[in-house]
Amino acid sequence: MSGHQDNEELKGSSNMETEIGPDGQPLVSLAEVEDAELAQKDSQSMSQGQLIRRRFLNHKPAIISSIVLVVITLTAFTSIGFAGIPGWWNQSYLKSAELINGGAPTLHLWPTWLGGQGFAIGDHPFGQDNTGKDYFALVMRGTQKSIIIAVVVGAVATVIGAVIGAVAGYFRGWVDEVLMRLTDLFIVIPLLVLAAVLGKMAGSASGSILTLAFALGLLTWTGLARLVRGEILTLREREYVAAAQAMGSKTSRVIFKHLLPNTVGVIVVNATFAIAGAILLETSLSYLGFGVKAPESSLGLLISQYQNAFTNRPWLFWWPGMMIVTIALSVNFLGDGLRDAFDPRQTRKAKRRNKKELS
Amino acid sequence: MLKFILKRLGASLGILLAASFLLYILVINAGDPLGDLRESVSDNREHLMAQRTEYMNLDQPWYGRYWTWLTGVSKCFALQCDLGTNIQGQNVADLLSVAASSTLRLVVLATVLAAIFGIAIGVLTAVRQYSGLDYGVTFLTFLFFSLPVFWAAVMLKEYLAIGYNDWIKEPGFSTPQIIVIAMVFGFLMQVFLAGSVKRRLITFAVSAAFVGVAIPYLVWLNFFRYPQLGLVGIIVLSLAIALSGTAMTVGVRNKQVLYPALITVALGIIMYYATFSLLQAPNTWLLIGGGILAVGIPGAIGYFMGGRLRKVAMWVSAFTGFALAALTVLDHIYRAWPGFLKLKPRPIGTIGSQTPDFVGGFWDVFLDRGAQLLLPTILLAVISLASYSRYTRTSMLEVGQQDYIRTARSKGLSERTVIFRHAFRNALIPIATIAAFDFAGLIGGAVITENVFGWKGMGEMFATGLTHVDPAPVMAFFLVTGSAAVLFNMLADIFYALLDPRIRV
Amino acid sequence: MSIQAQVPSSIGTALSFENLSVVFDTEFSQVHAVKGLSLEVYPGEVVALVGESGSGKSVTSTAAMGLLPNNANISGKAFVGGINVVGLPEAKMRKMRATDIAMVFQEPMTALNPVLTIERQLTESLELHGLAYGKEATARAIELLELVGIPDPAKRIKQYPHQFSGGQRQRIVIAMAISCDPKVIIADEPTTALDVTVQAEILDLLRELKDKLNTGILLITHNMGVVADLADRVAVMFRGSLVETGTVDQVLNHPQHPYTQKLLSSVPRLEAVDVSGNWVPEPLAAVDPNRKLILEAKNLVLEYDMRGTKFRAVDDVSFDIARGEILGIVGESGSGKSTIAKAVLGLLPVASGKLAVQGSDLTKLRPKAARAIRAKMGVIFQDPAASLNPRFPIGDCITEPMVVHKVGNRAERIKRAKELLEAVHLPTSVINRYPHELSGGQRQRVCIARALTLDPELLIADEPTSALDVSVQAAVLEMIQELQERYEFACLFVSHDLAVIDLLAHSVVVMKNGKSIEQGRVSDVLHAPQEDYTRKLLAAAPVPEPGEQAIRREARRLLLAAEKGL
Repeated sequence: MSGHQDNEELKGSSNMETEIGPDGQPLVSLAEVEDAELAQKDSQSMSQGQLIRRRFLNHKPAIISSIVLVVITLTAFTSIGFAGIPGWWNQSYLKSAELINGGAPTLHLWPTWLGGQGFAIGDHPFGQDNTGKDYFALVMRGTQKSIIIAVVVGAVATVIGAVIGAVAGYFRGWVDEVLMRLTDLFIVIPLLVLAAVLGKMAGSASGSILTLAFALGLLTWTGLARLVRGEILTLREREYVAAAQAMGSKTSRVIFKHLLPNTVGVIVVNATFAIAGAILLETSLSYLGFGVKAPESSLGLLISQYQNAFTNRPWLFWWPGMMIVTIALSVNFLGDGLRDAFDPRQTRKAKRRNKKELS
Repeated sequence: MLKFILKRLGASLGILLAASFLLYILVINAGDPLGDLRESVSDNREHLMAQRTEYMNLDQPWYGRYWTWLTGVSKCFALQCDLGTNIQGQNVADLLSVAASSTLRLVVLATVLAAIFGIAIGVLTAVRQYSGLDYGVTFLTFLFFSLPVFWAAVMLKEYLAIGYNDWIKEPGFSTPQIIVIAMVFGFLMQVFLAGSVKRRLITFAVSAAFVGVAIPYLVWLNFFRYPQLGLVGIIVLSLAIALSGTAMTVGVRNKQVLYPALITVALGIIMYYATFSLLQAPNTWLLIGGGILAVGIPGAIGYFMGGRLRKVAMWVSAFTGFALAALTVLDHIYRAWPGFLKLKPRPIGTIGSQTPDFVGGFWDVFLDRGAQLLLPTILLAVISLASYSRYTRTSMLEVGQQDYIRTARSKGLSERTVIFRHAFRNALIPIATIAAFDFAGLIGGAVITENVFGWKGMGEMFATGLTHVDPAPVMAFFLVTGSAAVLFNMLADIFYALLDPRIRV
Repeated sequence: MSIQAQVPSSIGTALSFENLSVVFDTEFSQVHAVKGLSLEVYPGEVVALVGESGSGKSVTSTAAMGLLPNNANISGKAFVGGINVVGLPEAKMRKMRATDIAMVFQEPMTALNPVLTIERQLTESLELHGLAYGKEATARAIELLELVGIPDPAKRIKQYPHQFSGGQRQRIVIAMAISCDPKVIIADEPTTALDVTVQAEILDLLRELKDKLNTGILLITHNMGVVADLADRVAVMFRGSLVETGTVDQVLNHPQHPYTQKLLSSVPRLEAVDVSGNWVPEPLAAVDPNRKLILEAKNLVLEYDMRGTKFRAVDDVSFDIARGEILGIVGESGSGKSTIAKAVLGLLPVASGKLAVQGSDLTKLRPKAARAIRAKMGVIFQDPAASLNPRFPIGDCITEPMVVHKVGNRAERIKRAKELLEAVHLPTSVINRYPHELSGGQRQRVCIARALTLDPELLIADEPTSALDVSVQAAVLEMIQELQERYEFACLFVSHDLAVIDLLAHSVVVMKNGKSIEQGRVSDVLHAPQEDYTRKLLAAAPVPEPGEQAIRREARRLLLAAEKGL
């Protein structure tokens, strides 16, 4: 009993007991039983998308991560405002001020009965930097920029990777050769090195974070392209693809209607991982000085700017770092949840109930 | 097989060439190397610009400069590398020879450690899918995936290195600390050993109690400053290894395996005394030679005494021999530790790949290098370990669903045999390919790590070179890391072919 | 075995089940796979457990091996040599595998570990169960390979699985199963993945071994021909329960239960080959002057490009099909039969020769005209699980040809889809369901509907029923026949099953290694074959009637002996 057949067997005899046909005669053929079951089926039809959604909603870490991500994104964009729209936070990331209590954070979460100061947000929940600027506002601004960069990198890499991967997988031949050699290139030149060089170029060219994001997107598509290519190579051997070709469908229809939609799992999952990777790549580059440069801002740049403050004002180091870890971790868990939802092969988990009753 | 390797090597060299061209073009277009001088107001501005133009061949067009670089590199085949001069006119080949060794030491060590531990953890979590251990490890790997390297590095420096250095001055534990450590240890042991609730409770209690007693005892011995293993320690530990090795393979009643292992222990104790003075001031070759003998001789004993269980006997004896050798080395390191602490009161370094002007015996230098290497290695290894364990887990689970695994089970093989003989080798095949990509990633990670820990390695060479739009050091960095990546890739390919007879035969 | 349990009811049996039930917990529900099954297998006896997919036959056997996945809840008893293995601790169960109960699997291509030598895989169970060690074990393994008919075993034992053919691998799996002299062997569809001639050889081998070793064999199969060939007793399963048991003669020749009767009547049967030599061919009907040629192949050559080297899959084959005719192409795997279908569908370029649809040569058409001609063809493939796009609702699947060729508006398309669903006897409500909600046979009917959407002149059917169960196959074949009579399209029907071709086709091409061996009217080729290869194929296909099969077996033996004598 191979895995595949196993599935079929389980599906074949579902729980519905339809031994009696519509005319009252007992059913004695598998074909008849199946047809009777189909006719009887009144449950809501479930598309693949609905099944996936249902599995995803059962994945707790992914749901928690999604909530965390939404909260972070909303806070980052609404608190200090975005694109000229003012936010609800009353401090500015530009304005220096007097240092209060050495700029220590005023956020307190430790309850009084445990010897803490109770719950309080205070004026500067994340503290102040050495010139007295509100660090919460600064971190929120860095978070905004980092999220923008990550999303742009993810989007650019996903679009390029999916299209090139699909084309290479479908046509094979020289397109495929070129793609494989290109990805080999990244074995020889580490991604970070190439990204640093491009980041430096983008930085000296315009200095805008979008240029940097596009440059990074142009580098990080190869992983996804490889995966999509592999997926397409298997899918194109499926008979529904042969059927579509045989009925005279155009190549573009075959790729965009039959092949790519069926790789959506791989694409979505890897887009999330690409976003997590992009956040870390941007912070690394900014840290080395080849990424985002002042007066722009990002979480990586904040850490880099304040790294020497660690011994005196550790919070200047902690907050952006924690933010990066939280975002990257949430995105990774989200991706994991999506993967399980799209590809439930390895998550077939069933509770061992009734075990004792039966035996 | 040879043809396969040569073909791969040829393709890799082609890629290396193309990559060098691409990188060169990108680097020289990443800015203006004369930028700072153009804005300069000093008198000798013209002179400095002329000098820099000469160092960097700026009078030549871009293809001319690349060609000059390439011909210089091609002289490497005649062992006379000419990698050009950097922006200050220093010979890059000389700079490189210093930088390369420390970086490669770091990266190779981290890769090997990450691969070994990562694969082991991956197998364990795959076998215990959906256990507490699996969930815990999964969470940790995701956390490691999400850590910015430099941020984690600063944390390690601050809490691990500085914390330890402060603590080692007067090592000791308060009672609450001991209780917490014992609890945590007990908890981890029960997660690791698993079993029924009762078994887990027993494991927890026994291991927590053990730690609770052992720590005060070690503190009383002042073990952390004056560690010792001693003859008794070596005998007890090596006997435990010989016995458990036998028990895990064929069972202790089996004399064909047990006796060679016990003989190995006896021989090892004798060798411990025989080599004692020699090992107090050894050299690297002596250690390597000794290690080979320590594995080879027990292997031979196993071969001649093993009878029909020859293979198992060889493995168990050789492993016991290896463990004994490791214990002997550990004993000598322990003996050198107090002296080392006097030479270097704050042992774990946070800056540089070696303490400047450090003078001491073989073991002292060994400990110094090791202590400097500790943090960056932990950092790099842990991050890369996460991906190895993840890939291994996925691969093992995938292989676990194959038909031949069911065939193996239907023969009545134990789960351990099924996993190691049938599943593991098949699961390693895809991992060999991933290793090549991972190595490249680690080199990237090393650039950052060196920056944080202030190593004068190749990462630093690359970063400074790029900042000054200076292609020579950047390309030198690329030459070493790229070749290393190609080499690693090829090793992975060979390993791949060794694992998979469908490619070999 | 050292453990001895006293269970009177199972004494003397090699394997017996008492009221065995298995329930699986699945992702969203529970599935009752086996419902209270009782069955005995005695030493030296072959009991066939017969049923269609979902009948629970494989689950039953896997339960006896103690290899069911964790989500299975087992109740009742399963005795192996007197010991109840339900709920037996894993360590004890392990000791019984291979020595008391062994298994032969369906898929020989994947049942062997690709990275270990045959020697290693054969000797490990011998060493594990303490039967032989080292050189002795290797010697024993070589003996076993010799016993199962692997030529030059001493040398080949050092090789890896991929160096053996499918049939040889199945022999190795059988050698593995008998290596520790088990009391009972479970053979789970042991010949399903093999070609008919190889199947016949494996069946011969199993019969020989059974007599030599006096083990009991539980044969799991859906193929009634295999049952007739090998089994002593038969048990028929339907949806988790046993519906009928008896001797092979009782069950196959005088079935009592309506399910068994229906099942047997669904099996397409080959009419007996005339061996008397007095076959008088039906007189050739005068060539119909109105015979309208739809598909014509002349000296067709097809090649695959394998990394620069050309592999010739079809070599110089000619045939034609006219309106209202069905041409069967039959052959074993690798014969090139499906390649021809691929070329007609335009999925593979023609290397040389002529391939024309309604007179226009496919090789010379411009892309646009080539696309237009595709509207006149419909196709049905083998694998119902893969031939519908999982993201399209059934309605979209069926109307896709209309969308591609821009025929009709939305309302017309829906109307057409409903018509077609009725034609293939599916409820029209299916239109909004997704392929994964349908069974294999139902999906295959959707494929037929899709193939007929544009009223094709030509239907290409590439093994359309080989993945289906017998009764479902019968329904699908009947449907194709009925629709073909109604719409009178020409049909190219590719199959490995001679009986199906016999039932359906008017003329046939027998292929081997890319060449046409014999072709002509079905009544001539399949009933009075002129070529040895066709005869061998016919002789190898088992028929579901024990008496007749015994005669055929003997005839085949003589045929092979005569060939050897030459």
